[in-house]
Amino acid sequence: MTAFVQATVYGLLQGGLLALVAVGFSMVWGVMNVINIAQGAFVLLGAYIAWEVNATFGLDPFAAMFVSAAVLFVVGYLVQRLVINLVVNAPIYITLLLTFGLQLLLVQGMNIVFTADYRSIPTTYASGSVSIGAVEVPIGRLLSFGLAVVITLLLVLFVTRTRTGLSIMATGMDRGAARLMGIRARHVYALTFGLAIGLGGMAGAMIGTVGTFNPADAGYYTLLSFVIAILGGLGNMYGALLGGLLLGLVEAWGGQFLSGTWVNAIAFAVLVLVLIFRPSGLVGKAFYSFRLEV
Amino acid sequence: MAASAVVLRSPVVRRWWPWAAGLVALLACFGLQSLLFVGQERIVTSVFMFVALAQAWNLIGGFTGYACFGQVVFFGLGGYTTAVLMSHLGLGFWATLPLAGLLAGAFGVLIGMPLLRLRGHYFAVATLGVAEGMREVVTNLGSLTGGGSGITVPTVGSAAVTAYIGNDGFYVLFLVLAAVAVLAGGLVGRSRYGLALRAIHQDEDAAGAAGVNTTRTKVLTLGLSGFLTGLVGAAYAFQQITIFPDRLFDVEITVLMVIMVMLGGAGTVLGPVLGAVALQFASEWLRQNYTEAHIFILGIVIIVAVVLLPQGAVNYVREARRHGEYSLLANVRRYRL
Repeated sequence: MTAFVQATVYGLLQGGLLALVAVGFSMVWGVMNVINIAQGAFVLLGAYIAWEVNATFGLDPFAAMFVSAAVLFVVGYLVQRLVINLVVNAPIYITLLLTFGLQLLLVQGMNIVFTADYRSIPTTYASGSVSIGAVEVPIGRLLSFGLAVVITLLLVLFVTRTRTGLSIMATGMDRGAARLMGIRARHVYALTFGLAIGLGGMAGAMIGTVGTFNPADAGYYTLLSFVIAILGGLGNMYGALLGGLLLGLVEAWGGQFLSGTWVNAIAFAVLVLVLIFRPSGLVGKAFYSFRLEV
Repeated sequence: MAASAVVLRSPVVRRWWPWAAGLVALLACFGLQSLLFVGQERIVTSVFMFVALAQAWNLIGGFTGYACFGQVVFFGLGGYTTAVLMSHLGLGFWATLPLAGLLAGAFGVLIGMPLLRLRGHYFAVATLGVAEGMREVVTNLGSLTGGGSGITVPTVGSAAVTAYIGNDGFYVLFLVLAAVAVLAGGLVGRSRYGLALRAIHQDEDAAGAAGVNTTRTKVLTLGLSGFLTGLVGAAYAFQQITIFPDRLFDVEITVLMVIMVMLGGAGTVLGPVLGAVALQFASEWLRQNYTEAHIFILGIVIIVAVVLLPQGAVNYVREARRHGEYSLLANVRRYRL
């Protein structure tokens, strides 16, 4: 029983991080209809930036995360503005290929610069843990989880309560009408991508603090983002949070009760079944079902 | 009369010259074999393999416009069918080859029925999920498939069920498979069935209203595409002798097919051939000259190609000749925000 509770706690804590990995991916897909295959690569880039900042300036990882987020926000803004915006109206496999090209470039670039060794961002306190009854809760994971959830909720507030956020929503719903209302779609798209990449990079820095990372993990985080975004419903940010927690739990329980990597097979089966029977996601109604394609 | 004959090529010429060109190319490829060194022969063999794969993807992704991002599942299933049948049941390779194609094709029909109701990105992600899930299933069915440590086809020594056919043999085998795939693409492209596929691509609802049984047509196409891909996968498994789930279900193989079709021109017969030849040779050249950075450069090549030529070389030339507009920048202007 203790083992089960322990796995549940781990799953929830991991799920919070995964939600932050995927929330930007889901937003980009929902708003711009672009599947960002490079999401996982940007997540790892965030981890490497935090690692570098920590190693060079001795900045605490939980502060270095914000450096990662800021740098990647700028990178994401420029990538969208200068490259992806050029093909957003092309057939769908074009944007898929473009972001795949980005992923190849980033992953191989990180391989060359940082080598393929596994790394971890060292802290003195994150490896400690607090005991609640018989359950051990690692401090680093608890801090990351709290931060990830708070930031995801702040993103929801930003998108639903501020003018800039509302312009992102409006562009996602009907780009033509939004442009007629004076919204600069090029800028809004770039802002959206920058936000998505920035949050992903921050999540990467958290992953690097509580565990290990190397460039080859990029595909894994992209696939997790797929599953979470589909589970939660595209563009639905609460959905991404719930999807992340759910996936974290399933992975933790599956790792305990199933042999081998059957849990991954189940995750993909769930992904396909959700797509067939409930493409709007497990929670709520379709977020952009009323979108007009221009 | 002479002037009009220049402007409008006679329909008879239009009909026979692509077939003649294809036949000449096929014979030239057979003739080329004796001129190549072993290393070169291997590279050309891999080009043939990707011509066949790109042509197969073009049926569903190019003509029909359904971006199947899990195409590698058919490749892997074909390969594993051959490997499992040869090593567990002792069947010969030539008996397993059609079975591998049929199994992959049947799987295409099976997943096509529910998944082809999805459109756009949803279809792409669902098929990607199927391919990734299948890789995990194959990895975990260790007693049947050998799991992550791979399965070996009995082709050497006393336990061999079919003798290994060597570099020369595989050159011919993949050339024939490529020719079959191109022939299938050519026949589909010129038939009423191909017209139905193009109609579905342009406007599925209108195609349905015009009397095309869209569901049956799409499912059949995914089955055909899966069949061809499965054949190639079977041949690849035999060539590699030992196969691993991570390689046979590698999402990069899917992406290569898509890039080749896209570079050459989706929905054309010539496009996937050109794309496969160009990309595979470029990739090999980069691998030999820039060992460490070749994937990095490949990434840049993909990004530049996608931005400058989103409709592919063949479609670009056709449109440019029709409108007399050869600027690549005009091309960029069309799809940008």
